[in-house]
Amino acid sequence: MSDHVILTADDHRDLRIRTERTPELGDAVMTCITVPSEFRRVQTHYPILFQLDQTRDSFTALAMFGFEPGENLFLTDAGWDARYRPLAIDSQPFLVGRGAGDVRQVHLDMASPRIGAREGTRVFDDTGRPTPYLERIADQLRALDTDYVASADFFAALRRYELLEPLTMDVTLDDGSKNRLVGYHVIDEDRLVALDDAAVADLHAAGYLMPIFMALASLGNIGDLIARKNRRMTRG
Amino acid sequence: MATNTGPGITSDHPITHIVIVGGGTAGWLTACLIAARADRDTARPLSVTLVESPDVATIGVGEGTWPTMRRTLERIGITETDFLLACDAAFKQGSRFDGWRTGAADDSYLHPFTAPVDGDPRDLVSAWSEHGGRFADMVGAQGAICHHDLAPRQRAMPDYAGTLNYAYHLDAGKLAALLTRHATERLGVRHVRDHVVGIDGTEHGDIVAVRTRASGAIAGDLFVDCTGHAALLIGDHYGVATIDRDRELFNDRALAVQMPVAAGSPIASQTNATAHAAGWIWDIGLPTRRGIGCVYSSGHLSDDAAADTLTRHIRATAPDAPLPTFRQLKFQSRHRAKFWERNCLAVGLSAGFLEPLEASAIVLIELSLDALLDNFPSHRGAMDIQATRFNTLFRYRWDRIVEFLKLHYVLSERDDPYWRDHRDAASIPPRLVELLALWRHQPPSRADFPMIDEIFPAASYQYVLYGMGFPPPTRGPIATADRARTETLLAQIDQRRRMLAAGLPSNRAYLDALRHTTAPAMELSA
Repeated sequence: MSDHVILTADDHRDLRIRTERTPELGDAVMTCITVPSEFRRVQTHYPILFQLDQTRDSFTALAMFGFEPGENLFLTDAGWDARYRPLAIDSQPFLVGRGAGDVRQVHLDMASPRIGAREGTRVFDDTGRPTPYLERIADQLRALDTDYVASADFFAALRRYELLEPLTMDVTLDDGSKNRLVGYHVIDEDRLVALDDAAVADLHAAGYLMPIFMALASLGNIGDLIARKNRRMTRG
Repeated sequence: MATNTGPGITSDHPITHIVIVGGGTAGWLTACLIAARADRDTARPLSVTLVESPDVATIGVGEGTWPTMRRTLERIGITETDFLLACDAAFKQGSRFDGWRTGAADDSYLHPFTAPVDGDPRDLVSAWSEHGGRFADMVGAQGAICHHDLAPRQRAMPDYAGTLNYAYHLDAGKLAALLTRHATERLGVRHVRDHVVGIDGTEHGDIVAVRTRASGAIAGDLFVDCTGHAALLIGDHYGVATIDRDRELFNDRALAVQMPVAAGSPIASQTNATAHAAGWIWDIGLPTRRGIGCVYSSGHLSDDAAADTLTRHIRATAPDAPLPTFRQLKFQSRHRAKFWERNCLAVGLSAGFLEPLEASAIVLIELSLDALLDNFPSHRGAMDIQATRFNTLFRYRWDRIVEFLKLHYVLSERDDPYWRDHRDAASIPPRLVELLALWRHQPPSRADFPMIDEIFPAASYQYVLYGMGFPPPTRGPIATADRARTETLLAQIDQRRRMLAAGLPSNRAYLDALRHTTAPAMELSA
């Protein structure tokens, strides 16, 4: 169960957060949410796929770390094997909350195994001033929240121009086993190149063209993900 | 001791059998380093034998190391966790000097192991004199980390890596025991527990063998004298002269004591050296105890007065703890005129001893082995040339250590006879006098320390000089490369200090967690 509290210098003066990346600390996940403003950085390592929530009829962008639930192929004994981690996973166990008057606040998931150790990174210093670590987290949460709200318009544009298509991909691993990746959408490249000038200008003016191409380019990372999976299976 | 005549030794005689006489920190460090660095696949692999007398108690030299110990342990093949646990060790990030300048309550400065931020020392020192505050705090982040009793590394980091430069505080007795196990069980060192009763030499003067009470003659090609103050080989056998340094360094006694500490109590990040009327007091924190000792000059302070001084120091921090008996150590600051004679190399106390202010004992052992093994004489013919080089290099190093130790005293404003005597011009090495004259006009820089492997870099002199309140030089006539860059560097230090203070665990949390994670699980018997 999650147990969210408002982060304050008085209540959390001595709080330390474990920042290592291990399965025990909740990093063994197959995906995490990502937002268009970080697609450029996300696509340096991870495939970006879109998932349709049928009940709410809305799309979410996901950075992929593995092929099945609980599988994170970037997690190694030496930590997270990539220079960039998506905001949503890097900012844990903090999250954005809403206070009175819809003011955004930093909240803390008290149920997180990252909390409560004597080793780890401090959030406030002895005087109650946020540490550089918390300053970075606050920047990340701000970016994530702002963009998550804005991404509804991004997906509306993708649907307006019918730029999303369902992905069905069969992956054959080195051991001969066949795996099928279903339930995701990707950018429809044929429709993207066929867009008329007005549509391109419209998407460009809204700042969507860059993330669209970044998402398209990110699919090249699926090959890297398969290679990681093969290596892991070889190692046993 | 009797010297037999044996056959002459030719210059192409290979050096393969190493015999170390004496255990203790010096003997076992020597054995481990030689055995670990020896090439096992060569045509004539080295054999290492250590002869240790069961009759002679070892003196635990120093409880502080230099950062070099990290590389030494890594070379020997001991993991950092094993070392920290086996030696009851803690991290040492420098030394704090309390009361050295005036003795006033706020008279304190730090000499951290991490060098100042990389910049022209003229710019750094002039920026510091404009900003004010403590020099060490301004030019690096380590001061704040030490102040908060934080560790220099996180447990997740690879062995012997740190975000700040560090060394260790340790239990020297336990270090010798760990090295003994490692040398004999892992590195193939032959351990002979026997008393040396004689030395066999050739007519040319080389040692052929040491004769033991029960194990016969132990022959070798190179003999390492680790027999401590006894100096059986370099002193008794060869009669190599010693050079007294007590004209410069007066301390010749110490009263030592160990106080248990409460579980969970903070562990200091540095050696604390507190000046008193005729010497100083060391205070070294380990996870389970504090090692405290009063160093003094018997010419300036009686044993009873020293005991009173030590008692007052202990009572100031532990008012109610029972007071254990003090152990007295007598020493003299001196070293050999030569350290390598014929086929005998003196390592450790047999080579010399200086008062323990800069924990120079163990590092000199490490440096001696580095010098031996980096230029190992594979044949007898090369040995005399290497010995001459070694003697020149180490004479230079002992001189530099004496000067650096003396620097701590000559800048004091304290008025006791002991401190006044330390400022007597006749007691100050001429080279130090010259440097101090130079430093009135420019800060210590690389140009003052021209050797490639200087034992103390210019940074160490800067920390002591400006910690002791030496006046910073005014701007000289020659422009420096980039003053603006210095301001940027100094601004970055503040961010780094905040980052490290947030991310580093306390020494106590680190070392307790180490014990917690590696303690064997308790098994319940049926």
